[in-house]
Amino acid sequence: MLRIGHLSCGYGGPPVVRDVSFRVREGERLCILGPNGCGKTTLLRALAGLLPSQGVMEMGGEDLRALPTRRRAQKLALMSQLSPAAFDYSVYEAVMLGRYAHQRGGLLSGESEADRKAVEDSLQLTGTWELRDRLVTQLSGGQLQRVFLARTFAQDPQAVLLDEPTNHLDLRYQVELIDILRTWSSTPGRCVVGVLHDINLALAFADTVLLLDHGSVLACEPMDRFDLAMLDGLYGMDVRDYMKTTLQRWS
Amino acid sequence: MKRGSSLKMALLLAASLAALLIGVGIGSVYVSPGDILAMIANRLFRTPLPEGLPPSYATMVLDMRLPRVLLAFTTGAALALGGTVMQSVLQNPLASPFGLGVSAGAGLGAATVIVLGLAGAGLGVFLLPAVSLACALGTVFLVVVIAARLDRGMSNVTIILVGMVLSLFCSAVMDLMATSSPTYSQRIQLWQLGSFSMKEWSAVWVLAPVTILGLVFFWGFSRELDVMTFGEEQARAMGVDLMKVKRLLLAAVAALTGAAVAFVGIIGFVDLVAPHIVRRWFGAAHRRVLPASALFGGSLLVLCDLAARTLTPPHEIPIGSITALIGAPFFLYVFFAGRKGR
Repeated sequence: MLRIGHLSCGYGGPPVVRDVSFRVREGERLCILGPNGCGKTTLLRALAGLLPSQGVMEMGGEDLRALPTRRRAQKLALMSQLSPAAFDYSVYEAVMLGRYAHQRGGLLSGESEADRKAVEDSLQLTGTWELRDRLVTQLSGGQLQRVFLARTFAQDPQAVLLDEPTNHLDLRYQVELIDILRTWSSTPGRCVVGVLHDINLALAFADTVLLLDHGSVLACEPMDRFDLAMLDGLYGMDVRDYMKTTLQRWS
Repeated sequence: MKRGSSLKMALLLAASLAALLIGVGIGSVYVSPGDILAMIANRLFRTPLPEGLPPSYATMVLDMRLPRVLLAFTTGAALALGGTVMQSVLQNPLASPFGLGVSAGAGLGAATVIVLGLAGAGLGVFLLPAVSLACALGTVFLVVVIAARLDRGMSNVTIILVGMVLSLFCSAVMDLMATSSPTYSQRIQLWQLGSFSMKEWSAVWVLAPVTILGLVFFWGFSRELDVMTFGEEQARAMGVDLMKVKRLLLAAVAALTGAAVAFVGIIGFVDLVAPHIVRRWFGAAHRRVLPASALFGGSLLVLCDLAARTLTPPHEIPIGSITALIGAPFFLYVFFAGRKGR
């Protein structure tokens, strides 16, 4: 459903991401892996339409770049790293903001039944229904990030882009967030493309792995065919050995 | 929750009307709210005046106090609206339209008119506000153009920085003008402190419609403002056409606050404080915060102006000092009271 072809992008100078091509099918969860500076976040920002880019970027056969901002947001949502909430919105209000792209301009149109249903469903799915009347400024980091996830779902996109959403979260909240995302993506017509900092978490979540090395695709493989040995070269260390040694502590 | 906020809004509206009546009623002679309403009705509908009310009172109340108080109210409303929108657009609790160069630009324009000796003459009554509004708009335009040139995404930090640099530059030029022409330096200084004295209905007729238009315009952008408080990139990913909305809002803020400053001079603090206090009471949603800020900012400035002209008769205290004198403790009170409740 998402087709990226020969995509290049950067920040004005030489391109940071070069000639990247991949496809994401319905129901697929694709994780982008690579060391710092390999272009993961740049690629994701280009997909989110936050950076100018060249090449093909299609969703369901439609050119994403040609879409107006609002239409694009109906198809594609971005879930970012945790950032503190500065203004006193209630959880319900904050999640309702996710409906922006689906609401007509102006205030007089109001909130439709579909808006309210989408918000309630998202609150239920993320386990934040009980928090709906609390202020976002008074939540813990883990709660707040789940509220932001609910807002992302309320946007009712076909694809969710993850920009390291589990950073700064305690282990339990990381696992929770990933589980919720897995549930969400199991509904037909949806997919997830993500950057997760934690390799273990990424491997547990993804069913396809895209390895990015100095801005180019090193490999793009489904999990069952993915050779973990490729990570060693990519990260410049014996990743498998490191994981095994550190995990031995728990046995 | 919704019912609670409409009740609060009704209370705020009632408090605003009370502030207006108190502002008009108190002065060298006291006029009761009933008499004020009777006089307004008399002027508008030719209803009879109550017995024993000297006719000179009508002139004092309707042609001197009422326009002054209404001007203070609309100015306060305009500044509070400008502050609310700037804080949300730039996601900075300390942002203010003045930081964009509105006040420094307007000040430079006013100083030019004063130094050229054009203020005060028949034409000067409107020349001074017209030139200072033009300079305020010009400065903000420059800030936006330079910020866009430096940084294609026109990020908030760039805007704040460029705004600060240009503001300081304009202030420096204004200071230079003031010190090099000592005859006018006091006048320039007085203008900068802001005042509602010697203002007539004409200023109200210009500023009130502009403020109401501004409120309606910003209210139409409530949802965009809500989304933008959560970050620029997030707002774009959520479907806000950020560059367009940002430019429109900045231009509107410049026009609205520039118009207010052009008529009454630079009055600080209302734009900063009003939105914060109102958010404490109404939450952050702009469909409530915008009208509430306008009402609260208006009432606050009416009461500040009342203090400015009645505390040390027959001298007036500059309104700009009063807003800080009353506003700062009130600001702290609201915040500490809110903290205890948590």
